[in-house]
Amino acid sequence: MKYLVVLLALLAGCATPPEPGPETPPVTEPLPEAQQRRESVAIAGLMESARSDTAAGRLANAAASLERALRIEPRNPRLWQELARVRLLQGEYAQAESLAARPNSWAGSDSGLRAENQRLIEQARQAAR
Amino acid sequence: MKRARFLRYLGFGSLVALLLVAGFTLHLDLRVRSEFEGRRFALPARIFARPLELHQGLRVPQPAVEQELRDLGYKYAGQGESGWFVRRDDGLEIAVRPFVFWDGPQPARTVHVTFEGGAVAELRDAQGTPLPLARLDPLPIGGIYPAGNEDRILVRLNEVPKHLIDALVAVEDRSFFSHAGFDPRGLARAAVSLVSGRVQGGSTLTQQLVKNFFLTPERTLQRKFTELIMAVLLELHYDKREILETYLNEIYLGQDRDRAIHGIGLAAQFYFGKQVQYLTLAESALLVGMVKGPALYDPHRHPARALERRNLVLRETREQNTITLEQCSAARGSALNVNSKPSMGTSPYPAFLQLVHRQLRRDYDEADLRSEGLRIFTTLDPQVQGAAERALTRRLAQFDKEKRFGEPGLEGAVVVTDAQSGEVQALIGGKDLRYPGFNRALDAARPVGSLLKPAVYLTALSDPSRYTLATPLDDSPFLWQSRGAKDWEPANYDKKYHGAVPLRTALAQSYNVATARLGTDIGVERVLDDVRRLGVQRPMQPYAATLLGAVDLSPLEVAQMYQTIATGGFRAPLRAIREVTTQQGVPLKRYPLAVEQAFAPEPMYLITAALQGVVREGTAQGLANWLRPELTVAGKTGTTDEQRDAWFAGFTGDRLGIVWIGYDDNRAAKLSGAAAALPVWGEMMAALDPEPLVLPKPEGIELVSIDPQTGLRGGVSCAGAQELPFVQGSAPQERAPCSSGLDAAAEAVDATVQKAKSWLERLFGK
Repeated sequence: MKYLVVLLALLAGCATPPEPGPETPPVTEPLPEAQQRRESVAIAGLMESARSDTAAGRLANAAASLERALRIEPRNPRLWQELARVRLLQGEYAQAESLAARPNSWAGSDSGLRAENQRLIEQARQAAR
Repeated sequence: MKRARFLRYLGFGSLVALLLVAGFTLHLDLRVRSEFEGRRFALPARIFARPLELHQGLRVPQPAVEQELRDLGYKYAGQGESGWFVRRDDGLEIAVRPFVFWDGPQPARTVHVTFEGGAVAELRDAQGTPLPLARLDPLPIGGIYPAGNEDRILVRLNEVPKHLIDALVAVEDRSFFSHAGFDPRGLARAAVSLVSGRVQGGSTLTQQLVKNFFLTPERTLQRKFTELIMAVLLELHYDKREILETYLNEIYLGQDRDRAIHGIGLAAQFYFGKQVQYLTLAESALLVGMVKGPALYDPHRHPARALERRNLVLRETREQNTITLEQCSAARGSALNVNSKPSMGTSPYPAFLQLVHRQLRRDYDEADLRSEGLRIFTTLDPQVQGAAERALTRRLAQFDKEKRFGEPGLEGAVVVTDAQSGEVQALIGGKDLRYPGFNRALDAARPVGSLLKPAVYLTALSDPSRYTLATPLDDSPFLWQSRGAKDWEPANYDKKYHGAVPLRTALAQSYNVATARLGTDIGVERVLDDVRRLGVQRPMQPYAATLLGAVDLSPLEVAQMYQTIATGGFRAPLRAIREVTTQQGVPLKRYPLAVEQAFAPEPMYLITAALQGVVREGTAQGLANWLRPELTVAGKTGTTDEQRDAWFAGFTGDRLGIVWIGYDDNRAAKLSGAAAALPVWGEMMAALDPEPLVLPKPEGIELVSIDPQTGLRGGVSCAGAQELPFVQGSAPQERAPCSSGLDAAAEAVDATVQKAKSWLERLFGK
């Protein structure tokens, strides 16, 4: 990742003429990361209890915890993915597919996350057949 | 012989009499038991607002948390295990009450919260250990009651303050805890008064309760006798606590128009806006005093008489030594403190409750809702509701004053939802906020006007080979003719034509003519298909005029439609309920978060960017009076013919809101969406410290610099060039004359960088 940043900085620095004003319109500003990190204490606890509920087969409770977490961080892609996984286990295939597709636009450059979402979508489609 | 026969007749007669008495008693016994049981076990469904979940980073200012705690009845600097809060250093110490949630019971605990910059900075428990989350108990917001206008808030005896019971017993029935249903001395007094011709007084609490089982207040000797027997029977079957509890839930304490105020729970709500457990000594004494004559001692109509009666109750309570002299004098010195404008219903949020009730009726039997004591956990956010109420009330009063169009005045409706999940956080059905009448948010279908335009532009932008944000649209005179329909010649709001305008500008300025031409070009049916995919289920006429909003929708339906845009194309049904449990807290049903992808992310990104343009430089620029431009809010104004309806629909990063303002009788309001609905929206959202609307850019979108003069590719050398999002490959290829070779070179380098970046990302995984 560091290499990438350095390389990009080099490329951008030598080739792009200095631009006045914002580089991108406000519409595409990345999520304020500081905020995301601050929230994560609350999220970690809820995700943990969702995981143990899932392991114990208490899927409704797991889903409830994840929804609670989503109210706090509605754009946390991992939460959507986790909820998709629970729905898949609950046999709610159409929901699993939609929920897995939902965070793709926020996954940004996290290709691992995207790939996992895609895998969940495929799995849900197959199960639905 | 004669004597023996006489004795036999006597014996037989006595037997018959005994049997008759026994039969009568048995009959009364059955009756009194069924009445008693019936009253004790019909428990209305209880409805709760969302619980406030405190966590680090939550955007909520300290005063808002304090207000919510007060609404919940938390005492400032109170005592005991829970139910109080106190200011400490840079935050609050809260003794959170225990509560049984859907996911299990949560014990009482003390929480320290600190605030910084309008958000929660830190959360710790009593030992100073950091806490991830602290959930407050949810605000009860009403119930679903048995028919017959018998509104009731049932209370449990252990919820009733001791000083209320002490006062009641002191004034109404001093030997209540020792007698067998009747008081011989009282009975003697009654007998004396009977001789004097008037039957009155001397009733124990048990007898008063029995009296309530009859529908008529008849005062005959026979009735008196029947009541006495039934009172004794009641005492045989039930213990004092059960009888007292039922009494407290039965007692008649006044009238609110056609609604009888029965029970201490409802009375506490009606007169003091409180739950029963928070009644002070003075308040309790007032209610106890009213038992004797609710109309006579009505604190609203006869405050002086009520005050005198209350102080008498306090004196008699003091005589029993259950309160101290200090408590008594303090209470006597306090004002009546009743609600100045009594609430109109048992719920402060009747409009939201109607929505909850409707959603519940899909899954539950009406009778179960009214008797099984279900606990309904809803999505209502009292802070959002409060902000919506304040903004609407203030603005409506102002418009009514300015316009002076007479009675009845302007009406309004508001819907606010969570922009991502579709949870309904606030709902207002009319300007009389507490009156459970006609619910405009749910039931007033009104023409939506320009609020439908985003659907037209969305359909267009779904075909990037033909339409982009920069495509010029034709806003010159337009006549639409189709067989079987009247000729249609739409006009712009400013009665002018604007020639060739970029697509994004036509939406931002809400040009009718350009939109009509665009919509008929792509086809009315195709647009209506998209309106349906956005979530509108009501049948719509496939006429060209529909494109400009000649379709009637309720504010809730409009909310559903815009919700799909706010979530980036994922339809999420609007929900007012999260969970339903039994009275004991056993979960019965969840209403889970559900989404369904209805649109591809790219056209959704484009239409949202265009709606942000409406606020930045179009008809909704006025929002800048309330919301900073950096919040990049998306929105749309709507105004219908002769300004009968004023609409605003919009969303921030966290909330979606719909505001409608107009007259019930369809009079021209002479107010545009921008002038009337937008200020309500702006004021409401500003009070809620909104999150900026930040859209993640889908993969298939690129940003291209466009010269505003020509609509062609621009660059730094073009004055006022704007970067616009395009579906990849759909941006104009041709360069504007102002664009220099340098711009082309810069673009080429940018493209190379992008390619390298994605190649590297693939290589390094992130």
